[in-house]
Amino acid sequence: MSPAPEYSFAVEYDGPPISYDLPRALPITVDNIPVASVVSQVPLSDTLSLPVVQPLLPPHHHTVKELKTLSSESRVSKELELASERTVSPTSVIAFDHRASQINVCELSGELSSSGPFDLSNGNDGSGECEFSDVCDSSRLLEESSSSELRGGVCRSTRSFNTMEFNALGVSNDDEKESFDFNELNLNQQDWCSTESVLSLEYPSTRVSSLKAEDCDGRRVPAVSFNVDYDDDDDGDLNEEFDVEETVTRPVRREPLTKGKKGSCYRCFKGNRFTDKEVCLVCDAKYCSNCVLRAMGSMPEGRKCVTCIGFPIEESKRGNLGKCSRMLKRLLNQLEVRQIMKAERFCEANQLPPDYISVNGKPLSYEELITLQNCTNPPKKLKPGNYWYDKVSGFWGKEGQKPSSIISPHLNVGGPIQPDASNGNTQVFVNGREITKVELRMLQLAGVQCAGNPHFWVNEDGSYQEEGQKNTRGYIWGKAGTKLVCAFLSLPVPSKSSNSIGEQHSNMASRSIPDYLEHGIVQKLLLVGCSGSGTSTIFKQAKILYKSIPFSEDEHENIILTIQSNVYTYLGILLEGRERFEDEILADLKKSQSCVLDTTGTSPKPDDKTIYSIGPRLKAFSDWLLKTMASGKLDAIFPAATREYAPLIEELWNDAAIKATYERRSELEMLPSVASYFLERAVKILRTDYEPSDLDILYAEGVTSSNGLACVEFSFPQAASEETMDTTDQHDSLASRYQLIRVHARGLGENCKWLEMFEDVEMVIFCVSLSDYDQFSVDGNKMILSMKFFETIVTHPTFEHMEFLLILNKFDLFEEKIEQVPLTKCDWFSDFHPITSRNRTNSNSNSINNNPSLGHLASHYIAVKFKRLYSSLTGRKLYVSVVKGLEPGSVDASLKYAKEILKWNEEKPNFNSSEYSMYSTEASSFSH
Amino acid sequence: MSVTELKERHIAATETVNNLRERLKQRRLSLLDTDISGYAKSQGRTPVTFGPTDILCCRTLQGHTGKVYSLDWTSEKNRIVSASQDGRLIVWNALTSQKTHAIKLPCAWVMTCAFSPTGQSVACGGLDSVCSIFNLNSPTDRDGNLNVSRMLSGHKGYVSSCQYVPGEDTHLITGSGDQTCVLWDITTGLRTSVFGGEFQSGHTADVLSISINGTNSKMFVSGSCDSTARLWDTRVASRAVRTFHGHEGDVNSVKFFPDGNRFGTGSDDGTCRLFDIRTGHQLQVYYQPRRDTEMAHVVTSIAFSISGRLLFAGYTNGDCYVWDTLLAKVVLNLGSLQNSHEGRISCLGLSADGSALCTGSWDTNLKIWAFGGIRKVI
Repeated sequence: MSPAPEYSFAVEYDGPPISYDLPRALPITVDNIPVASVVSQVPLSDTLSLPVVQPLLPPHHHTVKELKTLSSESRVSKELELASERTVSPTSVIAFDHRASQINVCELSGELSSSGPFDLSNGNDGSGECEFSDVCDSSRLLEESSSSELRGGVCRSTRSFNTMEFNALGVSNDDEKESFDFNELNLNQQDWCSTESVLSLEYPSTRVSSLKAEDCDGRRVPAVSFNVDYDDDDDGDLNEEFDVEETVTRPVRREPLTKGKKGSCYRCFKGNRFTDKEVCLVCDAKYCSNCVLRAMGSMPEGRKCVTCIGFPIEESKRGNLGKCSRMLKRLLNQLEVRQIMKAERFCEANQLPPDYISVNGKPLSYEELITLQNCTNPPKKLKPGNYWYDKVSGFWGKEGQKPSSIISPHLNVGGPIQPDASNGNTQVFVNGREITKVELRMLQLAGVQCAGNPHFWVNEDGSYQEEGQKNTRGYIWGKAGTKLVCAFLSLPVPSKSSNSIGEQHSNMASRSIPDYLEHGIVQKLLLVGCSGSGTSTIFKQAKILYKSIPFSEDEHENIILTIQSNVYTYLGILLEGRERFEDEILADLKKSQSCVLDTTGTSPKPDDKTIYSIGPRLKAFSDWLLKTMASGKLDAIFPAATREYAPLIEELWNDAAIKATYERRSELEMLPSVASYFLERAVKILRTDYEPSDLDILYAEGVTSSNGLACVEFSFPQAASEETMDTTDQHDSLASRYQLIRVHARGLGENCKWLEMFEDVEMVIFCVSLSDYDQFSVDGNKMILSMKFFETIVTHPTFEHMEFLLILNKFDLFEEKIEQVPLTKCDWFSDFHPITSRNRTNSNSNSINNNPSLGHLASHYIAVKFKRLYSSLTGRKLYVSVVKGLEPGSVDASLKYAKEILKWNEEKPNFNSSEYSMYSTEASSFSH
Repeated sequence: MSVTELKERHIAATETVNNLRERLKQRRLSLLDTDISGYAKSQGRTPVTFGPTDILCCRTLQGHTGKVYSLDWTSEKNRIVSASQDGRLIVWNALTSQKTHAIKLPCAWVMTCAFSPTGQSVACGGLDSVCSIFNLNSPTDRDGNLNVSRMLSGHKGYVSSCQYVPGEDTHLITGSGDQTCVLWDITTGLRTSVFGGEFQSGHTADVLSISINGTNSKMFVSGSCDSTARLWDTRVASRAVRTFHGHEGDVNSVKFFPDGNRFGTGSDDGTCRLFDIRTGHQLQVYYQPRRDTEMAHVVTSIAFSISGRLLFAGYTNGDCYVWDTLLAKVVLNLGSLQNSHEGRISCLGLSADGSALCTGSWDTNLKIWAFGGIRKVI
């Protein structure tokens, strides 16, 4: 007996603490490194990533000469000729070196210098940003000087060029598709086609629109004119350039065919430049009214060819977003047009990529852009480019230029402002920025003393003070004439809607996230469990913990009603019990009396007063309550009943009979365990002015919609410690939104048809009530049922690769119960033989390391049981958390644990496997 | 009477019922001398033939960002409502393939949707156990969303299926995961009658699908996880008119045959069946045998052509077979055609005039198929 038990004794002691502590250790280490990299990746993934793009470019440039040699397929050769023809013309060279200079490829510089207009750009070579603006200027010059015909040439040559490249890469395979489309067109002479042609017939293709005619040629130069928009942004430029190139290729492949008729439709090749046409936002393909619906399909992202769906739009067309053409209005009805325009404006692919905008020299992140666009007074018509932003006063302008507008101040976007942001040379500084001459002029006109090159602080309300001094010198906007002067000097004036900061913040909080952001940002947690496992408690707890207003007014109202009608139900059960007890006693009494009668022969005085008897008034109430309950109309009579019977309740509750019945409540099977909590507060609850406490709500049954599904969206409040730990956490303030979805256990069984709907959840939280081990339902032991349910959920194909967190709930109840009822009551736990210290003291039962209580031992044992089951089913690790559902801290901890697991999963690939195994020391050494 | 005694009697009774059921089945089989295809063949009928380009995908409705779960056509005009896991109902104009409404739902887990007979409103239901009605003509709120005009709540399980009673904008029948079907009065929002549930002859598992008889709107049929289909009379809620056994898996889809005397079913066991409501007999099994032992693909949804000669059945693997109902032959697989869906076909629907078929899939798209060949008189 001596050595062996001692050994196992030691093992017993070690096992549980490890498995318990481990989870805590894990998240903390994960936190530091991982989060930073996650955030930096978020914006990248949303745009077409730059790195993929660039490798394609160099070969593309080499093809300048290869073009001539690369004669291949019959169709392409035609294009080729065209392209090579154009290369001879000077403009086409420009097109090439234009791009070349952007990527700083030096090979072509020789050619460059030979072309006259480009001397300028050459001279500036290497001077960074300036170069580009110059290039653009020159190209603008060029455009102005050259004829439209020439421009068409430029464009076409670059395009055919691109086609080449993509043919080689095998990227565009829409050849077949196109031809199929045509087949379809021809074959489908059914009503489908005919109806459409009827539609289109209304609009003669020869309709002349002078506006469009102008466009016909002008629009041909997207690749060039586009650059005009880009003054300075090197990165964005490249990126954008590529996007355009990439997408331009597809429709352009048909260009040779349309050559004969310029301005014809890209699909049917009919019509001329005067025909009314719709333009693809991405690739600039133009379709006539006959073809537009076929080419653009159902336009899930607005006016884009079917093949261009998913690609970012051409930046020069951003202004057209949501602006409907007359043609669409004619083709479609108003509702349809509205939907298209809505999709166009709000779909994810059409949003401005955040890294195209840099503020104070720092490209924006996704979240920063959202902050910027959603502030109360956002910069209007935000285009890609470099901007400066004065956070104190809200001045906003293009880099190197005077302020263009005044936006909401104090937005946390971009870096700190540079003194030379607006390229001023007045030596007068406002909020650390050297202002421009125009501004100085305005300040002088506004009556601000600017002698001696002062440094000013200007607040958002226009009050200014000299740097280092306390007192406000005055208000810029104080004078009536100032705004007039500003208008004259084309300087911005503050908008009327500029609000105080406090207001703004409240706006920020209440603002809902735009639709296109929701996608992918909210991490979903699915909360499941058998009925009675406390999923609803955890759900309610999450609501109370993380929502500033946990329950809306309606919900609140409902909760009160639910709780009150629950209490009435409990009372009813109690009264029913009273009747039963009374009858029993009376029957007993009669029996004994009849015995007495038999023996004595005297008729006894009928005395049916027992301890369970109540007065007539209460009796009436009792009868009424039982009757309404029996008829199932308790809900219907409800709110009125409170007013009427509230005083009666007190009387009833204080009645001795009820008290006596309540004493025997364990005999009333119908009475749930939570009933005693409410019954003891019945008098308070059934008052009309009852306000439920958080605990009341947690205890209450049926508050969360028990029928279906309930979900709550929340984000974890930033703990003070977390903030100091890493600033990157701020970044994912938007990203770290969680949605806790609680589904009812009903119908979750084997033939569950809808579990597939939850394939996008990040994690399944499975809830088991620890105290269920001695509970039995019709189908058997509740713990076993939970286990089986767990098995079906875990093995469900939808959750094949999903993480599971097991919540062992109701630990508080369990701890009490385990002392009285052995765990072996449940067959699954028949091998639980805890070895406890003989000199066990109850005082330190909480310190698990020294002397674990029976409750802790048993919960660890159950956890290990589940872990083993899980790993035998899936070969993975199950995360377990022991929770007391009624304690906010406990639920908070376990939900935070869930968050850490999710974070850890994102970061896991960054750690090598050996490190990982270090963390995953499971409590599998648990022996028995 | 003790509990054990009761249990024993219960077991004995169940056994008796099963025996009787078995005998009934045997008797039926002995009476059933032929099925449709056998008879048709004996009459020298040949299956319908389709060329590869006879049925074409002529529209692709793009716009959902989640799996499409359900669709329904209007009875007039060519409009479609579709429900998807992105939490939206979209109303499409099938001719222009454009959206006319995009309704954001309060509960994203939507499973079914339906167009009202007049096309004025749409209904949808899902895991929230509520059937929500949206009036398409009501004004939108600030964010451009339509508000729920009526919530039909009362189900204790998810709403798996809903259909308006033909010709009545105010009545709707839903099937639910709580094993019941309910006839609703939309104007009051109350249940008119409940089919199944506490009553003896109701379904014993989740109801997955319902279909109302087009010729007699008092009759409807429901398919359930208990692998049966049941016929109900809306005037008699207390018991099912008839129970149809035969399937070996959940009945995912039921649809009335155009003449109203028969109905088709699609099931987890990979078969479609045709039942006669007058005799209660199974008329035909539509099953494409697999080459090897691989699992049969589940039938998710079915639809009949307007004549009833063709049965369209969508399968989980993305196939969409066109069955010749008369000869029980697959005459075309839409899944193998060009431009077909890339995911499971989750729902099917035929336009009111029968000129087009719409399929919804987990690849987030809906496609409209129409006859593209030259029509021959069959």
